[in-house]
Amino acid sequence: MPFRRLKNLCRNILRKQRADHDLDQEIHSYLDLLAEEKTRSGMTRDEALAQARRELGSVEQIKENVRDIRMGVSMDNLLQDVRYGLRVLKRNPGFAATAILTLALGIGATTAIFSVVDAIVFKPLPFPNAARLVRIRSVVAAAGAGGGVASYPDFLDLRARNHVFEGMAAVHTNDFTLIGPREPLHILGAVVSAQLFSMLGVSPALGRSFLPAEDSPAAAGGANPVILSGGLWQRQFGSDPAVLGRGIHLGDQMFTVVGVMPPAFQYPIQAEPVELWTTIALDLRGGVNAVAAQRGAHYLDVAGVLKPGVEIRQAQSELAAIAANLNREHPDNKARTVRIVPEIQSLIGPIRDPLLVLLGAVGCVLLIVCVNVANLLLARATGRRKEMAVRAALGAGRLRAARQLFTESVSLGLLGGALGLAMAFASLRLLVRLIPAQVPRLDAIGLDGRVLAFAFLISFAAGILFGLAPALRVSGISLTASLRESGRGAGSGGREHSRVRNMLVVSEVALAVVLLLGSSLLLQSFRHLTQADPGFNRSHVLTFQLDSPAGRADARIPAFYRDVVARIGLLPGVQSSSAVASLPLTGENFLLSVEAEGQPTPMASRPSVDFNAIEPNYFRTLGIALAAGRDFTERDDSKSTPVVIVNRAFAARFFPSQNPIGKHVRPGIGGGAGEPPMREIVGVSGDVKQSDPGSAAAPEIYAPLAQVRLDPVYIVARTANDPRSIIAPARREVAALDRTAPIYHTETLDQYFAESVAAPRFVTLLLTGFAGLALLLASVGIYGVISYIAAQRTHEIGIRLALGARKGEILRMVIAKGLAPALAGLAIGVAAALRLTRLLSSLLYGVSPTDTVTFAAVSLILMGVALLACYIPARRAAKTDPMISLRYE
Amino acid sequence: MSAPRTDLLQGTLDLLILKALALEELHGMGISRRIAQITNGAFEVKPGSLFPALHRMEEAGWLSASWGEAETNRRAKFYKLTRLGRRQLDAETAQWERISLAMASALRAT
Repeated sequence: MPFRRLKNLCRNILRKQRADHDLDQEIHSYLDLLAEEKTRSGMTRDEALAQARRELGSVEQIKENVRDIRMGVSMDNLLQDVRYGLRVLKRNPGFAATAILTLALGIGATTAIFSVVDAIVFKPLPFPNAARLVRIRSVVAAAGAGGGVASYPDFLDLRARNHVFEGMAAVHTNDFTLIGPREPLHILGAVVSAQLFSMLGVSPALGRSFLPAEDSPAAAGGANPVILSGGLWQRQFGSDPAVLGRGIHLGDQMFTVVGVMPPAFQYPIQAEPVELWTTIALDLRGGVNAVAAQRGAHYLDVAGVLKPGVEIRQAQSELAAIAANLNREHPDNKARTVRIVPEIQSLIGPIRDPLLVLLGAVGCVLLIVCVNVANLLLARATGRRKEMAVRAALGAGRLRAARQLFTESVSLGLLGGALGLAMAFASLRLLVRLIPAQVPRLDAIGLDGRVLAFAFLISFAAGILFGLAPALRVSGISLTASLRESGRGAGSGGREHSRVRNMLVVSEVALAVVLLLGSSLLLQSFRHLTQADPGFNRSHVLTFQLDSPAGRADARIPAFYRDVVARIGLLPGVQSSSAVASLPLTGENFLLSVEAEGQPTPMASRPSVDFNAIEPNYFRTLGIALAAGRDFTERDDSKSTPVVIVNRAFAARFFPSQNPIGKHVRPGIGGGAGEPPMREIVGVSGDVKQSDPGSAAAPEIYAPLAQVRLDPVYIVARTANDPRSIIAPARREVAALDRTAPIYHTETLDQYFAESVAAPRFVTLLLTGFAGLALLLASVGIYGVISYIAAQRTHEIGIRLALGARKGEILRMVIAKGLAPALAGLAIGVAAALRLTRLLSSLLYGVSPTDTVTFAAVSLILMGVALLACYIPARRAAKTDPMISLRYE
Repeated sequence: MSAPRTDLLQGTLDLLILKALALEELHGMGISRRIAQITNGAFEVKPGSLFPALHRMEEAGWLSASWGEAETNRRAKFYKLTRLGRRQLDAETAQWERISLAMASALRAT
């Protein structure tokens, strides 16, 4: 009868005094009746009463038992304990403030990090079918890696032949220029297969999804269908529902608006929002030469929703079998296979490990905090031994005493948690700003129900954890021994006590060592990363992107880029200008198969290298050394001999110990249906770290933009002063040339560099902060324990001094006491770190996860700190005046 | 505060209390005397287990309590069976008979 129980509970709590009185009366009437019975059998009144009392036993005990039963879950005791606990805390404001602040720091930091990790890593994606949503990555079978992108014909075959997917869709993002009544606007959009929306289980807020037939250009007629994002609809179309059915110009093509998505919808999920979607029909125009018509053109991300109950492994083996068949059917193409990963994993892949490392690290800090608070409580528990003994003598059970202590520690934990939550809330915005902007789902970070529940849980768990040591000790107290010890604070219990405290020191030092080692490795790695020579000079370079202008024939676009470069080059303060297809540090690269002169290779087994297209003066503008030969000139155009410049890494790999100048290579581009043309090497450039500063230089080929058309391009300009000062003039120059070609992504190379190291910077910064905090807390912990031990032994030290011990001896003795657990902690920490830092290896650049110098340096630092933490209380102990210390107590 | 270990005993004690109250309402002392009487002195219920049991059974709704006059004009708390308590007595009696029958036959078996 839960309801009655609840009612009784309420009654018992509300009318506690009356119920107590009632019970008292009941027991006394029992006593009276018993005594009366005994007088009737011939005893005197006093004898009878005494006898009855003996038979009754402890009245308080009975009342306690009845109360316990009455309360069911003993709510009353809990309230009483909490009240008592709060009173105790109020009596010791210093202790309470220290404990609560330390806890708030630990819980606040843990909660803040958790809220970030939860939003980015743990929360499901915002689609009904999110749990079954996977990425299907097409990779080169031999390399086992590669871009993971598929060609459209491959995608169609994978989709048609499998039995494990409910739906499958191809996606790639694309730059569009919205030409409207106002300034032309650069818009990031996505080209998708029509099934995407129904596959994800979402539908537009307005209008309709794409129809399956709209994947082919024929069905779309003259105008491709387009669906707008909620945001774009609001900003550019004033939330006008009449936009449905209207035609809009994107570049020089007409599109028909068929739908508007809800504002929150995003796919693909990424940092730069996608503002519109159109169908793959866009890529199928142009017949057999269209990019989507070529089996060799791998450029599409493929997502799929598994049928209910289908495991990823099952789908993997089926799709791999289909891919193997495709390889047999099309032997001209490089053999490929597929890898299926959950969508969420592919989305947050690179940031997942760093975030989990941070969560682990902040968890360590919280553990150290718990150890320190446990230490504080232990010190106080010693002072309260008599109190506890008295309570026990008066009939409080040991369990009750332990429960009292737990209630106090959990109350502490919850108070610390509340303050910590406030700290987390206050620091969250700062924390989010530290996270690299490219990380998806940043906008989902906040203190929601999940985070609150987490904070409550860890506060509670922390309370139990640090309450454990004192509670276990107190519940094992021997009554008589504690009472007999009376005034003597330090007695037989002291030794066992210090063993517990030593263990606490060992564990917190070990935890701090692990964090220190991890952060030192990351710091060194970060230093290497930022100081490594990228092969170019990144300061004073402005870059921006340019859409190809609407209405210009393809053949005239290279000339347009050249005009832009020339005009930018004439701006005051600009020293040099050029254009490039794949800018270093952006992570964009273009892989092409290549065949070198004199090394004939069948198409399917040609190696892939980085391919880039540039305007003349690119090397000068970026400060890249030209090792041999010449730069491109304006005469290297579509009518002249096809030429390329290769980097040193390429020359070393394909023409070892030969002069590459004048040799020929065949990158897989151009030439229509047949073999692509051979191109003559006219120069050798220095190596450039193209994708990220941490990677090794890869072989790379540069071709003139005038001979190889790649879109869109980056305009680059080296300036004498602040590069950002030429943004406005550059915009004016481009608009003067063609106002349908908006410039966007105006950033300096320094900014790109900052972004490329943003993730390691974020992890390194936070981990170093946590490690510093851990070191501080651990040294405070050591200091506290040594002070306590020294204080306890004041008497003994006094005797030793009186007997002629020298101060140096006392100093050594006390320091040794503290150093021993610190050294043990150091040893355990190093042993643990040797295993744990391997988890960091994917984040480390230029430093081994078991770097000896780092380990030695951290060990030395820690020993130094431990020594200092021991020295201060030891010196105080050694300065003891024997007369005073002997009189002490 | 260790709770009385009465896993088996508790069931027995409950049944005895219910049985003791089956005839008329009694106060605590009366209950313990009645139990001694109906079990021929085999069970002597100490107040340390009696009071918690009474209060627990009252919480469970099997007993109701009220203050009244005892033999010598002393105020005492009287307990009586509720309808729920009477049903509980019947159920527990049947259960007990089944168990004792089973135990008896088990012990007779060779």
